[in-house]
Amino acid sequence: MDAGLISAVVFVMMLGLLATGIWVAPTLIAVGFVTLHFFSPAPAGSLLGSNVWDASWNWALTALPLFVWMGEILFRTRLSSDMFNGLAPWVSRLPGGLLHVNIVGCGVMAAVAGSSAVTCATVGRMSMPELKKRGYSESLSIGTLAGSGTLGLLIPPSIMLIVYGVVAQVSISRLFIAGIVPGVMIIGIFMAYVAIRAMLNPSLAPKEITHLSFVEKLWASRYLIPVMLLMFVVLGSIYGGFATPTEAATVGVAGALVLAAVSRSLSWASFLDSLMGAVRTSCMIAFILAGAAFLSTAMGFTGVPRVLAGYVEAWELSPVMLIVLLTVLYICLGCFLDGVSMMVLTAAVVLPMVDRAGIDLLWFGIFTVIVVEMAQITPPVGFNLFVLQGMTGRDILKVTKAAAPFFFLMLLGIAIITAFPQIVLAPVQWMISK
Amino acid sequence: MIRKSLDALYLWSGYLSAFFLVAIALTIVAQVLGRFAPKLIVVDSTETAGFCLAASTFFGLAYTYRQGAHIRVTLVTRLATGTLDRLIHLWSILVFAVVMGLMTYWSFDYVYFSYKFNDISPGLMAIPFWIPRSAMGLGSLILLIALIDEFVSVARGKVPSYVENDAPIFKSADGEASSQTEETR
Repeated sequence: MDAGLISAVVFVMMLGLLATGIWVAPTLIAVGFVTLHFFSPAPAGSLLGSNVWDASWNWALTALPLFVWMGEILFRTRLSSDMFNGLAPWVSRLPGGLLHVNIVGCGVMAAVAGSSAVTCATVGRMSMPELKKRGYSESLSIGTLAGSGTLGLLIPPSIMLIVYGVVAQVSISRLFIAGIVPGVMIIGIFMAYVAIRAMLNPSLAPKEITHLSFVEKLWASRYLIPVMLLMFVVLGSIYGGFATPTEAATVGVAGALVLAAVSRSLSWASFLDSLMGAVRTSCMIAFILAGAAFLSTAMGFTGVPRVLAGYVEAWELSPVMLIVLLTVLYICLGCFLDGVSMMVLTAAVVLPMVDRAGIDLLWFGIFTVIVVEMAQITPPVGFNLFVLQGMTGRDILKVTKAAAPFFFLMLLGIAIITAFPQIVLAPVQWMISK
Repeated sequence: MIRKSLDALYLWSGYLSAFFLVAIALTIVAQVLGRFAPKLIVVDSTETAGFCLAASTFFGLAYTYRQGAHIRVTLVTRLATGTLDRLIHLWSILVFAVVMGLMTYWSFDYVYFSYKFNDISPGLMAIPFWIPRSAMGLGSLILLIALIDEFVSVARGKVPSYVENDAPIFKSADGEASSQTEETR
């Protein structure tokens, strides 16, 4: 049967099921099953069993529940409540003052948690009232939170990078190495933007008067330092090639439990709470991934991805044009879908296309994650917007407007890594050559 | 009585899922220890951790479903109210149940053939594949039961569990909740 017709049927069925409220994972399985059953000679049933199984015991994926669990444990420690006081003394003298706490705080929280809305909510809960009390611009306060909250998707150990690594069969260790420089770069862009805005219009951010000595600063952040050391060990063991991501995640879980015990926030109830939280998140993601693996096998049997990749090749797009088109596509999808779904839904078709266009899949992973980040702050479905809306009590329009500059700053980030792909790739080559 | 035992089934399969999540970490620890005492402990963690992951995922399905943590797009459906809203819920649950029916049937089919042809894992421990694969069948079955259960109770006019239990991650001062699945709402 004609590939165009098959892809139309698949597209319409997927859209129909998702729009009428069917969960993402069963939608993927249902579409895959129908595709195989009607458009290919392969036995849909037995492929369903074997394919879902193969996707479910993937070694690369074993890091995911452990990193999720580590984040869940660390949330229940003093970390979040100390974030503001711990970071404030370090950034208060920069132009823009404590607004930088939002950005750096989200960056740190992102490394710990890997989930964007939780990052946004945890940091915001502490910093919003403080910033308001001191007379900082509300729109910049909301914007920095919305924008930096999304960093959780990019800064390793990031759940989203694990998902991409599993889907695209790219080494998760390498993705973690590749994610760090662009992550820091985007933090830098955000901070520079806030500083410039504050210098142009000093009324946005009042001057901070209190100055602490270095030792006093260290003392103020005494609860943050152990967490940062833990992250250093976890990431360092991956970067140094001593541990696989799963082993590093195990160290992370053990370390997080010790930190929780030392800070006296570990009880049987909080332990169980964190564990069940991890079950919910990782089960949801693993189920979607299993469904996606089945769908992509089904699509493979029909040959649709190959044909579509061929079409795109026939347009003779330059890689840059392809990236521009995909950016637009993902931003549109991001208006309706969450990050994980977006990534796995498009993978079967987009990845072969990108690969054939000669774009590095490692680079593409970082690109995708940044676009997914942008999608978190686009209405009508922007996870971070909802969180901030609930937190500030402002309407969605105002929150969106406050977040908009950060959307464009991330677009700038994408432009930079497209122009200079070495920002993503060079650290990986450097680490591997060592 | 039936209500209570069903709720216990979902909750305890959730705990079983949590057990296997911890077991992933434990196999890694065992593997690392095994490097120091190679004669005492033989664990092939790549394989065992994978089995634990699969077991954790499948046993967690029903629990995750009841807690409203599986992702769905509610952008359109949230506009519906009253009878239409209930019909949409029934339709979603029905489709999910059909998918899980297929999943359950073909999982057990797969388990049966793994057993019949004595399919053995390729790693050091040579585990018969039907054992870990059973988790896929059982977990799918438990979710199928949860879905049938839900279909009946929604048809009788109850609020679906995944709506009721959906945990808010953030509450503002005036008590307005913004929840995790708000993302796709």
